[in-house]
Amino acid sequence: MTIELKKFGTTLISRPSGKEAWLAYQPVLKEVPENEEIMVNFADVVVLTPSWADEFLTPLRSRFSERVKLVNTDNASVKATLAILAKQ
Amino acid sequence: MPDKLISIGETAKRLGVSIDSLRRWDRAHRLPSIRSGPRGHRYYRQSGIDLYLRNERSLAQQWAAAPVGIALEPDEYCQTRDDFQARLERLQSVLRHKVSLQAVSLLSAVAGEIGNNSFDHNLGNWPDIMGIFFSYDLRNSNIILADRGQGILATLKRVKPELTNASEALKVAFTETISGRFPEARGNGLKFVRSVIVANPFTLYFQTGDACLNLKEKDTDIVVTHAETYMRGCFAAIGFEGAV
Repeated sequence: MTIELKKFGTTLISRPSGKEAWLAYQPVLKEVPENEEIMVNFADVVVLTPSWADEFLTPLRSRFSERVKLVNTDNASVKATLAILAKQ
Repeated sequence: MPDKLISIGETAKRLGVSIDSLRRWDRAHRLPSIRSGPRGHRYYRQSGIDLYLRNERSLAQQWAAAPVGIALEPDEYCQTRDDFQARLERLQSVLRHKVSLQAVSLLSAVAGEIGNNSFDHNLGNWPDIMGIFFSYDLRNSNIILADRGQGILATLKRVKPELTNASEALKVAFTETISGRFPEARGNGLKFVRSVIVANPFTLYFQTGDACLNLKEKDTDIVVTHAETYMRGCFAAIGFEGAV
């Protein structure tokens, strides 16, 4: 399955909105078949911060680990956010 | 007295710049004109010129350092996170005329982290004025954020009681992954801000309490110094002159 992050907005900056996105997406995540890859698509995201990503990407990766793949991560703030999360 | 239209020649004189500069600034949305008359000449209003000349930085510093909280003008005040988000998105569209898309993205992310930090750490605990000062001064290529919150020392002391002063707290905030929102085991915000500033042609002045720091591209260390004026909360000026 693919998660289009732009459907949560193109300026993804705050903890509450990241948490809200995570909670809202739970019903969809429950339906993901075992072993299916989860592709997170960053296309058209203009701004991403660690605060938002900590509330959505971090729990997603801890739940699905290697099954999570990130694509279209060439936006500057996406790259900077992913770099800081990788240091955690 | 009504705010009458001022000619481009007169505006150039008042600002000490050439008419060509004003035309260029108009095209770049740096100082928009009002088109009037059959030939669509450029005019300006005094209020627009004043707004342009106003130094957002000193205004925010005065507000943050004042002993008593005073109400702010709506064009520089974000009472809630939603207000902040909406104004940050507006800033993006203004910045697009001035810097690259990459710089827009990074500057918005840095401002977003600093502004949201204020809300994260003071929610339900604002000492007087709730919310943040958020404005930008395109003339000086500055984005300004300030709050009258509890400040970094009070926030981090909850998880690191050995901290004794604002200088130590400021250094910890920019160098260690620590969250003042125990038991939340996160706190990357200001480390992220630092990583972006030192890798790009940006600058940052950040103050909390009586401690401040300056960061610029390629800096490797965090050097905290003593600020001239005390402010309980936080103040940040993000500079992007080098990216224009």
